[in-house]
Amino acid sequence: MHPDADLEQLMAAYQKGDSAAAAALIERVSPRLHRFFLVQAVSRRDADDLLQETWLRIHQARHTYRPGEPVLPWLYAIARHIRVDHYRKARRTALREQQVEVLPEAPASIMGSTAGGRTDRGPDLEALLGALPESQREVIAMLKVSGMSLEEVARATSSSVGSVKQKAHRAYEKLRGLLRDGATA
Amino acid sequence: MKPEDLDRIFASAGTEYHLEPELLDRISAAILPGLRPVRPMPPARVIVAGLLLLCLTVGVAGASIFGMYGIRKLSGAESAAIFAVVGLLACLAASQTAAEMAPGSRRLVSPAVLAVAGSLALIAVAAVLFGGYAIDGFVQQGVPCLRAGLLHALPAAGGTWLILRRGMAVNRTAAGVAAGTLAGLAGVTMLELHCANLRAIHVMAWHVAVVPLSAGAGALLAGALTFRERSAARPS
Repeated sequence: MHPDADLEQLMAAYQKGDSAAAAALIERVSPRLHRFFLVQAVSRRDADDLLQETWLRIHQARHTYRPGEPVLPWLYAIARHIRVDHYRKARRTALREQQVEVLPEAPASIMGSTAGGRTDRGPDLEALLGALPESQREVIAMLKVSGMSLEEVARATSSSVGSVKQKAHRAYEKLRGLLRDGATA
Repeated sequence: MKPEDLDRIFASAGTEYHLEPELLDRISAAILPGLRPVRPMPPARVIVAGLLLLCLTVGVAGASIFGMYGIRKLSGAESAAIFAVVGLLACLAASQTAAEMAPGSRRLVSPAVLAVAGSLALIAVAAVLFGGYAIDGFVQQGVPCLRAGLLHALPAAGGTWLILRRGMAVNRTAAGVAAGTLAGLAGVTMLELHCANLRAIHVMAWHVAVVPLSAGAGALLAGALTFRERSAARPS
């Protein structure tokens, strides 16, 4: 049985006003969504904010989930929308503001860090994916980190399965190349 | 790190990741108190049927009011061919509009591609079915048709927008294009039923133009709405 099969039931119960189902859904999905934001090269604090904003939007739009449909594409399409909005806002702010001081903020990628609830897990995923273009990073994050299928990623990104496959293939090639270069250096 | 490490990194990435309980508590506190049941959106096929009915009603009602001169002049084969293509495009546009209402829905084709390809398909059908490329009275006869088509697209767009509001369009521009294309096809339906000018050049230019113009207007309107909301949300 697919490990996410019960997410649909939890979502349907959430629509019916079941608090326990909503709490279970928040607990199950939040780490993945947080990780999704973190690999998109945002700071941990921004990822926290984006996660909270995403849940508020999910709550407002929960009636748009159609029972029986896969939940993850629905959730990630909303999360993606929030991230794109955040990116636009950040770009506008950066254009308007003049940076006078670089604030010391812990980078999202720390080799084997235990910071912020992460456990020690060897090579850092965020640093690795940071080398990829945004669209490829997003696809790899959904496929490999969240464990979504090609069809689910295609739905979440409003694109075709072929396009997702192509992006994943290119991303893999680039990552392998980077690792090879790193190993020989 | 070696290339072989890649699969191992990804395999461990999905697991062993925990969030601070405080963050989860904050989210739960914002959502769980006062949680009410909601009625899920109807299935996509119900929305598609509603949208098609709306557009058919607008097209037929308009042609009934202004006269069904076009359909009387068309042969059975011509009617079947042109309305089959318009119907197929309307089904695709309605499916696309219904998909845009729910995040993470399966999309058959991008709305922009549908608007362009649909217009080209209608041009091709007109070129195959009708003859006549004389341009006497081209503008004088064409502008009233374009105006009538766009005026009929308006109520169809209004009704579609009311249905769209029930959902959540994560890409508003795409939703605007899909809804505009559908509304434009309602205008084309009215024109094909009403207009007795079966010159190929007239149909290709003035009838078909309703579709891309409506789609473009839908995109502009969606963009303007998004811009207004973002401006309102921006701190002064």
